[in-house]
Amino acid sequence: MRTSPDAQELLSIVAETFRTDLLPHIPPAQRYTALMIANALGIVQRELAGADEAGHAMLAALALLYGEDADDSLSGADLRRRVEALQHRLCIEIAAGDFDHDGQDVLMECLEEIVQARLGIANPKLLRG
Amino acid sequence: MGALIDGESRPRLESWLAGATGATRVSVADEGTLGGGAISLNLAVTLDIDGGPRAGRHACVLRAQPGGAAVASGMKASISKAQEFAALRAAFGAGVAAPEPIAACGDPAVLGADFYIMRRAEGIGAGHKVVKADQPQRGLARELGRQLGRLHKAGPDTPGLEDLPVPAASPALDCVHTYRDWLGDLALRDAVLAWGLRWLEIHAPPPGDLVLCHRDYRTGNYLVKDGGLTAILDWEFAGFSDPMEDLGWFCARSWRFGRHDREAGGLAGREDFYAGYEETSGRRVDPQAVAYWETAAYMRWAAIAVLQERRHTSGEEPSLELALTGRMLPEIELDLLRHIHGLGLTASAPAAVGAEPSGDAGEERVA
Repeated sequence: MRTSPDAQELLSIVAETFRTDLLPHIPPAQRYTALMIANALGIVQRELAGADEAGHAMLAALALLYGEDADDSLSGADLRRRVEALQHRLCIEIAAGDFDHDGQDVLMECLEEIVQARLGIANPKLLRG
Repeated sequence: MGALIDGESRPRLESWLAGATGATRVSVADEGTLGGGAISLNLAVTLDIDGGPRAGRHACVLRAQPGGAAVASGMKASISKAQEFAALRAAFGAGVAAPEPIAACGDPAVLGADFYIMRRAEGIGAGHKVVKADQPQRGLARELGRQLGRLHKAGPDTPGLEDLPVPAASPALDCVHTYRDWLGDLALRDAVLAWGLRWLEIHAPPPGDLVLCHRDYRTGNYLVKDGGLTAILDWEFAGFSDPMEDLGWFCARSWRFGRHDREAGGLAGREDFYAGYEETSGRRVDPQAVAYWETAAYMRWAAIAVLQERRHTSGEEPSLELALTGRMLPEIELDLLRHIHGLGLTASAPAAVGAEPSGDAGEERVA
């Protein structure tokens, strides 16, 4: 069965129509709400289009610590589960004090890259460069 | 929550107010909801008081605790309206520019919610407007420092504050436990938050002075008119803690509204804010301790964002604004990591706090 346009295409035209046709005409009292809707639509668009890319970036970041388990052939739910599993392992090691004295530079690099990957979806305006 | 003041509740409110203010008669005009009510509900009201010590017309704010599920799930971060009123009264009594407290009501039969009434102050509160100025607002930053110094004269021995909880062991470790509690299982799924908690644990300063802290003292929570301070608002997080907690919160990047070059709340440099604080508090500012509490500020804001988002995802309080607050987490975490990065990488060498950081973290310098 072919559904056309697909969800991503439909969302894309919804977001564009909202921004260009409706947003300029929203009364001031509702403008904040309208901007929140535009913001939310943008997040959903970027997440649908870029979830795997962000997942791979996070996996690459975690590979700094857990190279052997960072399989970059994964995608979709498998990719998400692997990222979650490695982050969970990292959380446990951090809480146990494994990074209290050594390895903090690599840890910080890994964490910064994880945050950058998530920002690429949530708020790419804050990404550097 | 529906209209708090309607035809049915108004007479109850008016007769309760007459008793509370020693008046013969009070009439209440409701002028609608005021902003800044993510947690509490703020109504603009005007009281016409006949008789008694407060006879006359008073522009006021009625601040209520919304009832129901939201309180149970989300807002364990805030104190009760009776406690908030007590903190406000202590602050006002200490000479802080807080709105004058009028009366508090804990009887649900009056409005169906705990509430209190305070005088209404004039001015602009919105952070992005307050920081809009060509030149640094050095006088305002200094005045906000002075106000905080006065507030920090109050402590657990101050009369009227008996009902505010006192931290168990060390305020710093107490905070770490609280943030961990608010985050729940996210502390074991989000490595940045896990590292923030661990960092705070390792670097926790020993317990020192315990003072009444505002705990949300920041740009956006005070009113400014013609460049001058008129009132400090939003006392719902007040509690006893390390005095440097309020300074770290005030200076955090999250509340500079884009004016990152003006580290004291987007107003001016830290030196003006610190100088005002030292004038009235009788205490030296410890930049290293402020840097610690600034890390705590990012963790606290992250944990509060998670609590807010859960109010939405739990289904108890569907709200686009609350849902989007959850998506602010990476942005708060970026601030957290930048700040820790600027303090130096070695946990076992806290002396690195205040050292010259590298690269674009330069504006995070604390000394």
